[in-house]
Amino acid sequence: MNRFTPNFLAMIFTALFVGLGLSYYSLADGRFLGTYHIGSWSTWANVGTPNPDPYTKTFVALGSTLQLGRSEGVQFIAQRDSDGELLLRECNYSITGTTPIANFWTLRASAPDGHSITPKNSTQSMHSKRISRANNGIATIHVGTKLSSGNWLEIEGKGYFELILTLYDASVLSGFGGTINTMPIVTKEGCS
Amino acid sequence: MIKSALWIFGGILLGLIIHLTLILSLPHLVPNNIWNVFSKIGAPGELIIIEKPKQQEENILRLDPELTYAVCRFDLSIGPGLLSGKLPTDFWSLGVFDKNGVAIYSTTNRSGGGQSLDLGIFNPAQTRLLAEQKIELQSGILIVRAPRDEVFVVIRLSVPHPAMWQRYQEQLKALKCSHVGQSE
Repeated sequence: MNRFTPNFLAMIFTALFVGLGLSYYSLADGRFLGTYHIGSWSTWANVGTPNPDPYTKTFVALGSTLQLGRSEGVQFIAQRDSDGELLLRECNYSITGTTPIANFWTLRASAPDGHSITPKNSTQSMHSKRISRANNGIATIHVGTKLSSGNWLEIEGKGYFELILTLYDASVLSGFGGTINTMPIVTKEGCS
Repeated sequence: MIKSALWIFGGILLGLIIHLTLILSLPHLVPNNIWNVFSKIGAPGELIIIEKPKQQEENILRLDPELTYAVCRFDLSIGPGLLSGKLPTDFWSLGVFDKNGVAIYSTTNRSGGGQSLDLGIFNPAQTRLLAEQKIELQSGILIVRAPRDEVFVVIRLSVPHPAMWQRYQEQLKALKCSHVGQSE
């Protein structure tokens, strides 16, 4: 029996599955190469450097978005809460803790495609210099549809979303890899 | 059975080759990269003020709504790029990027010249001419060497209060962006 054709087709299918799947996973979903993770947060470690690795180069080129140079700051994205569940716009979350040293930071919520998900005439983002803090200096920000006391970033709609934390003038990151030991914790408070 | 396993193994190897080829070639094949986005809204040597992203709308460039942005695109084959002006004392930063969005250089007002911005961008040939003093420039200019001709500069300015947005954007608009030898 001629086994050439099924074997050849299996090889092509495997090649396409591995080649395309690995490319998609490394650039979009998994972010297992070229990224740095701490808790819920991840960042492309070599974005903003003059000699990024090929994965970062491709990520930057495909994204068509404005990236930060390393001296300007660094951006972290959280797509999951501290339990590893994807962030949902129907739920309310608290973001508590401290960030690496930076001149200032901003926090905003966005749909995965980049659409703003804050209602019209509400705050679009949180600024570290314009939020209330506890006596120990730790800030808690509530993100969700349910009105919350303190710092509240209102969002609306349904579906997944992501939190974008941008640290500006974060010179502490010049020794990237070993110096980030603290990031805020994203905790689900409940869902409507 | 062993033969089939070898075919599958061959498929995995071929898949890895496809993966590497894609990763290495995609940056050069993307039709709508950030350089092309800016090409549609401004000519080389022209300062572009980017409007604040609106709520409920797509934030294509993923801008931070707390900051106001200006972009200056240079084609260094025309001549060295120059960017100068004065900015507020609040935080501002600039990044120089190549055509594919890879950072060449970045700084902030904390490590740079405070309120003053004087930047010159040169390709390798122009850098040599500069070293031979065949290009005349004012003193104190920050010199950035770009490996290729197509570069753009992004200036980010932090707005401490929404009421100051208009005034800060006016200051960004007052920046001068041009090529050496190009009439302003």
